[in-house]
Amino acid sequence: MRGSRYSVPALAGALVLALGVAGAQAFPDKPVTIIVPFKAGGGTDITTRTLAGPMAQALGGDIVVKNTAGAGGTIGAAETARAKADGYTIGMMPVGPMTTQPHLRKLPYAPDSFDYICQAYSAPSSLVVRKDSKFNNLADMIAFAKANPGKLNYGIQAVGSIPHVAGLGLAEAAGIDFQFIPFKGSAPTFKAMLDGTVDMFVAHISFLTKNGDQVKSIAMLMDHRVDTAKDLPTAKDQGIDLNFPIWGGLVAPKGIPADARAKLEKACEAGMKSAAFSERMAQLRMPVTYLGGDDFKAFVMSEFAKNEKLLRKAGLKKN
Amino acid sequence: MDTLALGLEHILTLPTLAAIVVGTVLGVVVGVLPGLGSVIGITMVLPFTFTMPQIPALALMLGIYCGSVYGGSISAIVINTPGTPQAAATALDGFPMAQRGDAGLAIGWATTASTIGGLFSVGVLVLAAPQLAAFSLNFTVIEYFALGVFALICIANVSRGAMAKGLLSGVIGLFLATVGVDQVTGDMRFTFDNFEMTAGISLIPAIVGLFALSEMFVRASESHVVKESIAYKVGIRLPRLTDWRGRLGILLKSCLIGSFVGALPGTGAATAAFISYSEAKRSSRNRDKLGTGEPDGIISAESANNAVTGSAMVPTLALGIPGDPVTAVMLGTFIVHGLTPGPRLFSEHLDLVYAIFFILVAVNVAMFIVGAIGAQAFTRVLRVPEPLLMTTVVVISLIGAYGVRGNPIDLITAFVAGIGGFLLRKNGFPLAPMVIGMVLSQMIENSLRQGLLITRGDFLAFFQRPISLTLFVLTFAILVWPLVRRLLGRGKGATLDEGNLE
Repeated sequence: MRGSRYSVPALAGALVLALGVAGAQAFPDKPVTIIVPFKAGGGTDITTRTLAGPMAQALGGDIVVKNTAGAGGTIGAAETARAKADGYTIGMMPVGPMTTQPHLRKLPYAPDSFDYICQAYSAPSSLVVRKDSKFNNLADMIAFAKANPGKLNYGIQAVGSIPHVAGLGLAEAAGIDFQFIPFKGSAPTFKAMLDGTVDMFVAHISFLTKNGDQVKSIAMLMDHRVDTAKDLPTAKDQGIDLNFPIWGGLVAPKGIPADARAKLEKACEAGMKSAAFSERMAQLRMPVTYLGGDDFKAFVMSEFAKNEKLLRKAGLKKN
Repeated sequence: MDTLALGLEHILTLPTLAAIVVGTVLGVVVGVLPGLGSVIGITMVLPFTFTMPQIPALALMLGIYCGSVYGGSISAIVINTPGTPQAAATALDGFPMAQRGDAGLAIGWATTASTIGGLFSVGVLVLAAPQLAAFSLNFTVIEYFALGVFALICIANVSRGAMAKGLLSGVIGLFLATVGVDQVTGDMRFTFDNFEMTAGISLIPAIVGLFALSEMFVRASESHVVKESIAYKVGIRLPRLTDWRGRLGILLKSCLIGSFVGALPGTGAATAAFISYSEAKRSSRNRDKLGTGEPDGIISAESANNAVTGSAMVPTLALGIPGDPVTAVMLGTFIVHGLTPGPRLFSEHLDLVYAIFFILVAVNVAMFIVGAIGAQAFTRVLRVPEPLLMTTVVVISLIGAYGVRGNPIDLITAFVAGIGGFLLRKNGFPLAPMVIGMVLSQMIENSLRQGLLITRGDFLAFFQRPISLTLFVLTFAILVWPLVRRLLGRGKGATLDEGNLE
């Protein structure tokens, strides 16, 4: 049926538009800016840009993506928190700047500086090794670590990042030691694994999809097997319960008009259900995981508390 | 042969050819404008590439990439302000040549050298990509440290006549790049509890300040009497074939240096240009004239930085690891288009690799033509009244400085760097060493500390690896060589070579 794959977002869009026209003041009457706290071309950026098109259609207005990079995403998060609370500036905020960075140092914002719109993605992370590595599962790796204490190098993309916290959790649960080697981002960490400098690191599932020729997963760090990676055993399957999804969602500065928040939430949901967005997610083996504003807020708060405990235990929480 | 034809077929379509032309023109323009650079150029077209078909999207981005690396040289030559950090070394000889009234010839050298460098690296990409990618895996953090130290020698080479001031300027550059997050411990350094400072001092705003703003301050501080302007010839003047005599060695060496440095992930065209300039300073027949408007200087910098463009695609395509910040953005787009980089790309999608190869060849040719035609306009810029020209440059470059990452602190950085650069210039400090320091600082510091983590604190292990040992020995040899030469010269009773007294 021609056009059927667009019918859902189109319908939702029409609905939102109709509601907008019915309201006293039509939001949006100018473009909405989504701040991405990382550089253009990265995972968060591409996901946001993929969502922006269908979401704008549903919203009945334009959406502009702005990249404010720096200091692990905290600069962009601060800019979002500080923006005028009118719904025209919102941010795509990932796990790091929302739930780990605020524990590592003093920041001009906290999770309660925001109003929550929706969760836009949540994908499992994976402990990856080189394709030719002798480790095929957690047991292999742990046995080696116990026989050769202090020999394993574990690459991390940034100090205090989710991959770092996951590594600390794994070391503790398995009773082994890692030498953590910090790099700046995924590309140099991956390079260091290919050249033999580090033995493993934790990556996003889309990384695994893209580099399947060169790496393999020895454990998905998720408490259940997701639909898009049914074939890959989780750490929980292997007896160590580690759950470190990599997620992000749209937030607005606290106190935006309820009407704007509701419209953005609806548009986000419609955008995520669009064919363009779900096709793209499927390509990367990422599940589509929509959460509404209230659920997303509850989720962020609980992750914030969980990561605080982990970082404190690791001695990384300094304040 | 069939795949080769298929690759050619991919690019001989109207949208692809149009994308090549548009991309190259756009690239040259963002390259020329200080502050706007390769990354901004690619980011600007990023949203469009999502909806374009695969090959034209690649062509557009590759055009911007190569065009911008070349374009930076034009502003370096014409107004002594490198349009991109990659062209900082080009200003050293390009601007003096332009001051002599030979801007057209300087652009001619830069255009020819850029095109040859670009084409050379395309050859490297297609002939040796898998091998070169495999070799780049011999470069671990320890080798990166050794390479960074080796590249630092360049500070000595661009500090002609003011060695102490040049070294000081280099140290300031090394220091400035340490502001912000300490990558190894996650601590904040030199941020004075200011949140915005935690993002560190970004290279592009610093360069905008150091070069564009300080140039404006210098000109404003000079007498207001309109000087008899040099009769500039409008347009490009290509060097004669005979002018290349004695310079082909430098050209080849610079192409090789650029191709090699480009293939190492995480380095970039700026590093390549400085290393290559250093090598020209060491081995060129005209080394004593380097820094005074000598073509060898332009050739070494421009062929090396453009040779990075093709070879930076090597690790990007063969390993899925971007070679520099620009290819990092491009990598994201490749994946959107279903092109999965990695070892299998070369066996399973050879036609695409060939298409990229043909695109790069076409882009380099287009770049030459755009340069030749555009030079009319670029050199005419010199006839624009100076106050108007400088104001325009300042406004555009500040927009660029802000646009890199959208952080207002970058505007303050640019202004402070502008005042700092003005004071340094007035006191005879060369600015190029500061750029070298800023470019190399994080690579040197972080690779040293990562290396020590890996060797569990054993510094001796740095000297037990063949590649790093070779680089350390070379660094040492090049540093003591002038001294040895001087001692030998004295032994023969020859007069002291003035160049070595610096």
